[in-house]
Amino acid sequence: MRTSVKKLATAVSTSIALMGAGHAAAEIQIGIAGPMTGPVAQYGDMQFSGARMAIQQINANGGVMGEELVGVEYDDVCDPKQAVTVANNLVNDGVRFVVGHLCSSSTQPASDIYEDEGILMVTPASTSPEITERGYELVFRTIGLDSMQGPVAGNYIASLNPERVAIVHDKQQYGEGIATAVRDTLKDKGVEIAMFEGITAGDKDFSSLVTKLKQADVDYVYYGGYHPELGLILRQARQGDLDAVFMGPEGVGNKDINTIAGEAAEGLLVTLPPSFDQKAENQKLVKAFESKGEDPSGPFVLTSYAAVQLIADGIAKAESTDPFDVAAALRGGAYETPIGTVEYDKAGDMKSFEFVVYEWHSDGSKTPVN
Amino acid sequence: MQDLLYFSQQLINGLTIGSTYALIAIGYTMVYGIIGMINFAHGEIYMIGAYTALIAITGLASLGVVWLPLILIVALVCAMIVSSSMGWAVERVAYRPVRGRHRLIPLISAIGMSIFLQNYVHLAQGSRNIGFPALIEGGFTFGSDGAFQMSLSYMQITIFITTLICMTALSLFIARSRTGRACRAVSQDLGMANLLGIDTNRIISATFVIGAALAAVAGLLLGMYYGSVDPLFGFIAGLKAFTAAVLGGIGSIPGAMLGGLILGVSESMTSGYLSGEYKDVVSFGLLILILLFKPTGLLGKPEVEKI
Repeated sequence: MRTSVKKLATAVSTSIALMGAGHAAAEIQIGIAGPMTGPVAQYGDMQFSGARMAIQQINANGGVMGEELVGVEYDDVCDPKQAVTVANNLVNDGVRFVVGHLCSSSTQPASDIYEDEGILMVTPASTSPEITERGYELVFRTIGLDSMQGPVAGNYIASLNPERVAIVHDKQQYGEGIATAVRDTLKDKGVEIAMFEGITAGDKDFSSLVTKLKQADVDYVYYGGYHPELGLILRQARQGDLDAVFMGPEGVGNKDINTIAGEAAEGLLVTLPPSFDQKAENQKLVKAFESKGEDPSGPFVLTSYAAVQLIADGIAKAESTDPFDVAAALRGGAYETPIGTVEYDKAGDMKSFEFVVYEWHSDGSKTPVN
Repeated sequence: MQDLLYFSQQLINGLTIGSTYALIAIGYTMVYGIIGMINFAHGEIYMIGAYTALIAITGLASLGVVWLPLILIVALVCAMIVSSSMGWAVERVAYRPVRGRHRLIPLISAIGMSIFLQNYVHLAQGSRNIGFPALIEGGFTFGSDGAFQMSLSYMQITIFITTLICMTALSLFIARSRTGRACRAVSQDLGMANLLGIDTNRIISATFVIGAALAAVAGLLLGMYYGSVDPLFGFIAGLKAFTAAVLGGIGSIPGAMLGGLILGVSESMTSGYLSGEYKDVVSFGLLILILLFKPTGLLGKPEVEKI
């Protein structure tokens, strides 16, 4: 009796081990971590939609090294604490490749865990320079940096010969980082900065701020942060008769700003990655999104697509699913993606990435201005 | 002149936001005055009021109603009905069963209710910020062209007037009406009021309902004034209103009004003359100072230990 129990136990554990092994041989898990809920969930939608499409198309073409990609999705609510929980879950689930996170303040703490645990991360949206400044081996982006985006915005404002500029930010890593980059650019150009001030993310009352901007008599206001706050600032500025042009980074450039700000969103200036969905070589991909009823024009859809594709191409080139080998392959080659040819420097940043200034309209459309 | 206009503008901004803090604070202070318990789900009742008003406005717009007073009245009535029934239900579900137990139990129950309601709205309405139409636009401007102009919008005037009406009505109700008298009796001594034939359960329910109705008014007003709602905004507003109630003396209705106005003005003056970053530092610092030197709040009565 005792031996039969033992035999049974051995048989069960062997079959579990075999099942596990079989599981691993047939598929490569790709974690997709971003906000599914919370105030910036619409950016998460872009990320998930782009990454799902890439996984689907790669699998339709036979997968990577004969193995299928499987997307595993995690919700970090764009909250740094939640991002750490998600990162730990990913580790426990045995995922070794991550597309994410979205908000810089989430990516930063999560990347510490990934680097320690040997997980490769490609963020399709986090632009804070600090993320790649720490010499991490497994951290990559498919987007530019605030240190590239800030000067584009700063130079554009400077080219309009402003008299007085105010800079407002939401005190978060992304918002304050890019606001500082814009301030430094403007200072170099000799533009007078009348105000540099933080607000609290999640706040709704900006009447005092608007009054202050009016008193300072500024003609341009740069806002570093996300659309829920800028939408309200625009609207309250209009109600308070503030006559200034607003400008913001890609974190404000989505259609939700129109539902909040309404008419007040007309004429807002936004720096965004170029419209990859307008490129001729991407039209087939655009059709694929449209046939699924999805919109590929959001700033992070194709960067997420590219992130998945880079992981897949890296695995294929390295002929290994070891994240360190893949990281070396990514640094060592040039890859064709929907966002152009991607080449990485040592830090994990793209060697070149362009930001374009758009004028936003109250119907949610945008036109390039330079 | 310029500086005076600037000061007045910041004062108006502060009084506007302060009035709505006061409207929400009433709910905290009335419940505390009567059963000595803090209703932490009150901020969520306010948020639900704002959502209901938005749904009503959208519904009317899709029916083709364009007459503004009708839209406002229907939105207000809908918000008040839904919030009040929510306030009533919350009391029945989360507070009545645990009333009279250790003080911590209703507190935990209240926090649980608050989390439940937040997540319920997350599920039912989505987690995005939803724009709130600005129904009342325009206003007066003061000052000469080319210089700083002070503006007083019709929306701000509406907020002042509505708050004034609500506060006067509430004071009259508490002072004159039969239920109001019963409320005062219950707040003095719940057990004795019960012995004298007052239906204390009904009075406690009424307190929750009145507080919730005023919060719904604040929800509609602030939704229109700010321009967006999200499932989490009740939490911050609730925290501020709670601060206002404590500042003025929790349990005192005039105290809640005073506390709300002081909090609102100190916030706008801080962002106007110092920096918006210090807004919350100053308002909560003020709270700590008042609690240190006058623990019962500005207008609160010291609690007499009953023997």
